Amino acid sequence: MRNPFARRADYRTLDESELVALAKDDMEAFGELYERFMKKIYSYIYYRTGNAHDAEDLTAKVFFRALSHIGGYVDKGAPFQAWLYRIAHNLVANWHRDQGRRKIIALDDYVAHSLKSDAPDRVTEEREEQDQLMQALRRLPDDRQQLILLKFVEQMSNAEIGEVMGRTEGAIKSLYHRTLLALRDEMDNDLTSGRNRRLDGSEG
Amino acid sequence: MPRSAEIQMQELVDVITTSLQDGDGVESLIANADAPSDELKEYVNIIHALQTSLVPQEPSAEFSDGLRADLLGRDVRLPGRFRQMPARVPVAAVLAIFFGCVVFVLRRLFGSDPPGEIQEEAVVTPL
Repeated sequence: MRNPFARRADYRTLDESELVALAKDDMEAFGELYERFMKKIYSYIYYRTGNAHDAEDLTAKVFFRALSHIGGYVDKGAPFQAWLYRIAHNLVANWHRDQGRRKIIALDDYVAHSLKSDAPDRVTEEREEQDQLMQALRRLPDDRQQLILLKFVEQMSNAEIGEVMGRTEGAIKSLYHRTLLALRDEMDNDLTSGRNRRLDGSEG
Repeated sequence: MPRSAEIQMQELVDVITTSLQDGDGVESLIANADAPSDELKEYVNIIHALQTSLVPQEPSAEFSDGLRADLLGRDVRLPGRFRQMPARVPVAAVLAIFFGCVVFVLRRLFGSDPPGEIQEEAVVTPL
């Protein structure tokens, strides 16, 4: 009788391309791919949708779509995760289109544990800064949001981001630089409009 | 900004980002760079803010285990779906296709009245 635990241990030692080739006919191999990439895909979708419920729903859709199309997957040398991220990107784009508007990201869940200071005033200040940053990020075009998330959440190199987004490394560097400038401008605008609102409030 | 200066700034911002992500200091990079340090410090602030705000998120174990079970228990590929159906479904499908072909071939070989003529006969009433 086959030992299922021994089989699963074997899958863990396989490299990505071997595993992808096996996963076309073997559900356990697909299960190992799921183990390797599910959390990354979920994290990416979480930041693109702003809530855990939609992130779970879309993550499930990504893997069901991957499972139904893996038979036709052709290894062109790009990492398998680039293919998964492209599926996720397309589903998120459809989700935004269906929503008809962009949701403001729900910060409460993750800001709390990413803050380093315990002083209440400092925590409030940091939370406001992060809130402002995330709102500025959400106002950027899709491709710029994608780049920032792949770089900071997924910790990908420029070459890996290029493979996901179908651009050269140089183009990614250029887009990254422009994205930081756009973020800075967005945050400056927020600061200015915030100051103006406070002034209007104090005058009235 | 001239093109070469822009590319130089892109490279510098990229190096600063990598250093910050690796937990290395960037003071010497800023001091030795051929760019205004105030401008570079603005970049550092934004990169640092992104780094602290964008932390990886994890789904609940319940979701993760449940989805795995759903995926592995339900093969959505066509051959997989076919294999998972009750035996009577593929048998019935094959029989239906077979008899459909037989009827089609018989009609082609021996011919029959077109449906329009049959309907005409049906409405004729004897006087």
